[in-house]
Amino acid sequence: MKNIKPFWRGILFLVVFGAVGYGLGLGLDFLMVKSLRFSGPVPSVFALLFAFTAFFLGVFGFRGITRGLVWQVLGTLVGGLLVAGIRAIMGLPAFGDFFFTEPSWVFGALTGAISFLFGVGVLDDWMKWTRGIDTPDEHEEHYHGWEKYFAVSLDHKVIGVQYTVTALLLISIGGLFALIFRSELAESQLQFLTTNLNLFSQNGPQLYNSLMSLHGMIMIVSILLGTAGFINYVVPLLLGAQDMAFPRLNAFSYWVSVPAAVLLLMSLFLGGFDTGWTGYPPLSARAPVGMQMFFLGVFVAGWSSILGSLNVLVTVVRMRAKGMTAWRLPILVWAAVATGLIALTATQLIGLSFQLVMFQRLFGMGFFDPAKGGNPVLFQHLFWFYSHPAVYVFVLPGLGVISELLPVFVRKPLFGYKWIAMSSLGIALVGFVVWAHHMFTSGMNEYLRIPFMYSTLLVAIPTGVKFFSWVATMWKGKISTPTPMLFVLGGIVVFLMGGLSGPPNAIVSTDLQLHDTYFIVGHFHDTIFGGFVFPFFAAIYYWFPKATGRRMNETLGKIHFWLMTPAFFVMTFGMMYVGLLGMRRRIVDYDPALHLDATHFVVTIAAFLIALSVLIFFFNFFNSIKNGEKAEGNVWNSRSPEWQVPSPMPVHNYEKPLEVVGEPYGYGSGDDGYIKFVEPAVNAHK
Amino acid sequence: MEHTQNKSSAFSQGVVIFVYLAVLTALEFAIAVAFDAVPLLVVVAIAKAALVAYYYMHIYKLNQEDADLDHHSYSYKTNTNRFGLWLFLLSDTFVFAGLMVMRLNLLGLSRPGQLNQYLGLGVTAVLLVSSFFMNRGEIAMSFGDTKKFMNNTLITFILGLGFLIGVVFVEWRLAAAEGLTAGFGSPATGPTGAVFYMMTGMHAFHVLTGLIFLGIVWNNARKGVYTAEKHWGVEASTVYWHFVDLVWIFFYPALYLIGTAVK
Repeated sequence: MKNIKPFWRGILFLVVFGAVGYGLGLGLDFLMVKSLRFSGPVPSVFALLFAFTAFFLGVFGFRGITRGLVWQVLGTLVGGLLVAGIRAIMGLPAFGDFFFTEPSWVFGALTGAISFLFGVGVLDDWMKWTRGIDTPDEHEEHYHGWEKYFAVSLDHKVIGVQYTVTALLLISIGGLFALIFRSELAESQLQFLTTNLNLFSQNGPQLYNSLMSLHGMIMIVSILLGTAGFINYVVPLLLGAQDMAFPRLNAFSYWVSVPAAVLLLMSLFLGGFDTGWTGYPPLSARAPVGMQMFFLGVFVAGWSSILGSLNVLVTVVRMRAKGMTAWRLPILVWAAVATGLIALTATQLIGLSFQLVMFQRLFGMGFFDPAKGGNPVLFQHLFWFYSHPAVYVFVLPGLGVISELLPVFVRKPLFGYKWIAMSSLGIALVGFVVWAHHMFTSGMNEYLRIPFMYSTLLVAIPTGVKFFSWVATMWKGKISTPTPMLFVLGGIVVFLMGGLSGPPNAIVSTDLQLHDTYFIVGHFHDTIFGGFVFPFFAAIYYWFPKATGRRMNETLGKIHFWLMTPAFFVMTFGMMYVGLLGMRRRIVDYDPALHLDATHFVVTIAAFLIALSVLIFFFNFFNSIKNGEKAEGNVWNSRSPEWQVPSPMPVHNYEKPLEVVGEPYGYGSGDDGYIKFVEPAVNAHK
Repeated sequence: MEHTQNKSSAFSQGVVIFVYLAVLTALEFAIAVAFDAVPLLVVVAIAKAALVAYYYMHIYKLNQEDADLDHHSYSYKTNTNRFGLWLFLLSDTFVFAGLMVMRLNLLGLSRPGQLNQYLGLGVTAVLLVSSFFMNRGEIAMSFGDTKKFMNNTLITFILGLGFLIGVVFVEWRLAAAEGLTAGFGSPATGPTGAVFYMMTGMHAFHVLTGLIFLGIVWNNARKGVYTAEKHWGVEASTVYWHFVDLVWIFFYPALYLIGTAVK
C-alpha cells in the first residue's frame, strides 16, 4: 500500500469504498421498501458519501479533511436518526422514500455540516478560547508540502489555494452537468434523457431539470470560492500584511464551504429538484427532498461568503502597510472592498428567503403560499435583493484583476485610477437598488418597473468608466501578450458583449419579450465569462509563479486561450440567436418546427470545445506545479509588493515591513517604485 | 482601557439611560393604545435604538484612535476585533430587516390580535432591565472588578432566560391556545401565525446564542481571564447582548403595538 502514490491510493479507495457504500445503501433501502432499487437515491447517496470520503482517506489518511467528511457522514446519520426517533415517539412515520423523511434529512444535514467543522478541526482554537485558554498568535504549520492543503491551515496563502482548487473542482462538476444536458439539447426530441430513464428516482426530463438547476448553483458557489481564492491569496500580499485580520475566521470561511458543496451534490441524488437555481415557490415548496439539500447547501455556503468578506473588509481597513492611503491602494483591493460590502450584507437575504421556504415545507408556515395568505412575489423580492447584487460579487473582483494586470502588460499607468476605484463602489451601491428588473413579468406592481428600469441602466455608467479606462490605459502602450494578458484582453471583449446585450433585458418593453428566453442565458454567460472566468484564468496564470515558484507552460496556455475564446463566442451568440427565435430557457426539449436544431448542435460542439480547453488548462496547472519552468523572481516586471520578494512566497510573507513611497501604477515614470522595505529598528517587535 | 469618566459617573450614566429607555417604552405603549400613529412609534423606536447603540453599545469606540500602532498589541487587536464585530452586526441586521419587510408585506399595518399585551410589555421590560445590568457588568469589568461583573452578568443571564421562557414557553403557548397557529398542515389561518413565530423565533435564537455567550464569558471571568485592560470577550458579549435588545426594540412595536389603538 505504501508504494502506491497517494493520488492512486485515493482512487483505489474511492472505487472500493464507493462499492461498499453502494451495497450498504442498497441493503438498507431493501429493508425499507422490500425491493432492490439499483439506481435509487439511497444507494447513490451512500456511494457518493463513502467514495468521496474514501478518496481523501486514501490520499491523506484519517486526519484533516478526511476526518471532517467522516464526521459529516456520522453527524448526518445521528441527526437523521434522532429526528426519526422523535417522529416514531410522536407516532409519525419514522422513515420515508429516501430512507429518512424530509425533516430527518434537513436536521441530519445541518448536524452533519456542523460535525464536519468539528471533525476537520477548524473550531479547535475557538473551543479553547471558550474555556479561557489562549492560543499563540504566530501559528505553526502542522503539515508540510502538499499535505498542508488537506488540513486546517491559518495561512491566508494556503487558504487561497484551497479556495481556488475547490473552485476548480466545482467548476468541472458544474461543467460536466452542463455537457450532459447540453448534449440532450443538441437535437430536438428526447434522445437519452427520456421518460423511460430512471436514475436517482428521476426520469430523464426530471434529471435534466436537476442537472440544469445544479449547474447554475454549483457554478455560482464555485465563482464565490474562486473570487475568494484570489482575493485571499493576493489582497494581504498587496496590503503588505502578514495575514488576514482574523486567520481562524478565514479558515472557517473556507472549510464551511466544503460541507456546503457536499450538500449541494447530495440534492442531485435525493430526488433532485426542478426549479432552476432560483428556487421560486410555489414550485420549490413541493419539489422533492433534494430541494431542501439545495437550500441548505446554499445557506451554508452563504456563511462562507459573509464571513470571508467581513474578514477582507477588516483586513483592508486595519492591516495596510505604512503610507498606503486610500488613493494608493492597489485597484484590486478597491474591487475586493466593493465586493465585500455586497457579500457581507445582501447574502443574508438569500439565506432568509431560502430559510422561509424550508420552514414553509417543514412546518407548513404559509409565507409564500397564497392559500394561506402568503405572497410568492415576496420571495422573489427577498431572493433578488441578494441575487442581483451577487452578479457584481462575481464580476467586480474579476474586473479588478483586469485593471490590476493591464498596466503591468502595457507598461503604462492605469488611466483614471480614482474613477476606477469609485466605479467599483458605484456598481456595488447602485447594485442594491436594481433587483426588481428580474421581476418585470412577475406580476409585481407595474409602477415599480420604471424606476427599476432606470436604476438598472444607471449601472452602465460606472461600468463604462472601467471600459474607457482600459482602452485609455492600452492607448499607445507597449503591449506584450503573454497568457495572462491574453485572458485580460479576452475578458474585456467578452464582458463588453455581456454589457451590450444587457440593456435589452433592462428595458421593460424589450424584456417582456426576452424574459425567460435563451437570450438571457447567452447574456449571462457573456457577463460571467468576461467578468469572472477570463480574469480568473488570467489571475491563475499570473500569480501561479508566486505560489509555486514555477511558471505555467506558455504554449499550452495560448492553446487554452485560442481554443476557448472563439468557441465561447460561438456558444453565447448561438444561445442569443436561438433565444431571439423563441427558444425558452430551462426546458429539456423544443419544437423541431422552430428550426433551431442546427444552431443548438453548433452550440453543443462549442461547449465541448470549451471543456476541452479547460482540460488542457488542468493538465497545464497540475503538470506545472512539478515540471514548470522555474520562475522565482519578478517574472512580469511588476511594481506590486508581492513581486519584490522571491517566489514562492515565504510563510509569513514579508521579512521586513514595507512602506508605500510612490504610485501603484507609475509604470514608465522613472520613479523609485511603489514600495520600499524598511529596515526594522533593533528592538522592534518581531 | 481609556476612562473619560470616573467609576461612579459611569454607573450613574447607565441609570439615567435606563430611565430614558423605560420612559420611552411607556410612552410608546401609551402612543400605541391612545393613537393610531405608526410614524410616532417608529420615531420612538429609533430614539431608543440610538440610546442603546451609543451609551450601551459604545458605537463611538469605532472611531477611537489607536493607542498603540503595533499590529500585535492587545489594544490594536481589540480595535480590529471591534470593527469586525460591528460588521457582523451590520450583516445580521439585514436578516432582521428582511423579516420586517416580510411582516409589512404580509400583514400590512394590522397585527396578530391573539397576543397578550401585558405579557408583551412584561418581556420587553425584562429584556430592557437585563441590558441595564449588562451595562453595569461591563463598567465593573473595565475597572477590573471581576466579582461585580460576575454578579451583574448572572442577573443579566437570569433575566435573559426569563425573556426566553416568557416568549417561547409562555407567549407561544398562549398564542397557540388563542388560535394563532404557524401551520403544521392545519387549515389556513392566514400568514399571521407564520410571521409571528418566525420573527419571535429568529429573535429567540439570537437570545439563546447571547445566553451561551454570556455563560462562557462568566465562566472565564470566574477563572480570572479578564482584567481592566484586557477584556475583549466581555465587551463583545456585552455589545452582542445589547444588539439582541436593540432588535427587540423594533420587533416589539412591530408585533404588539402597530394597530393597537382603540378606535
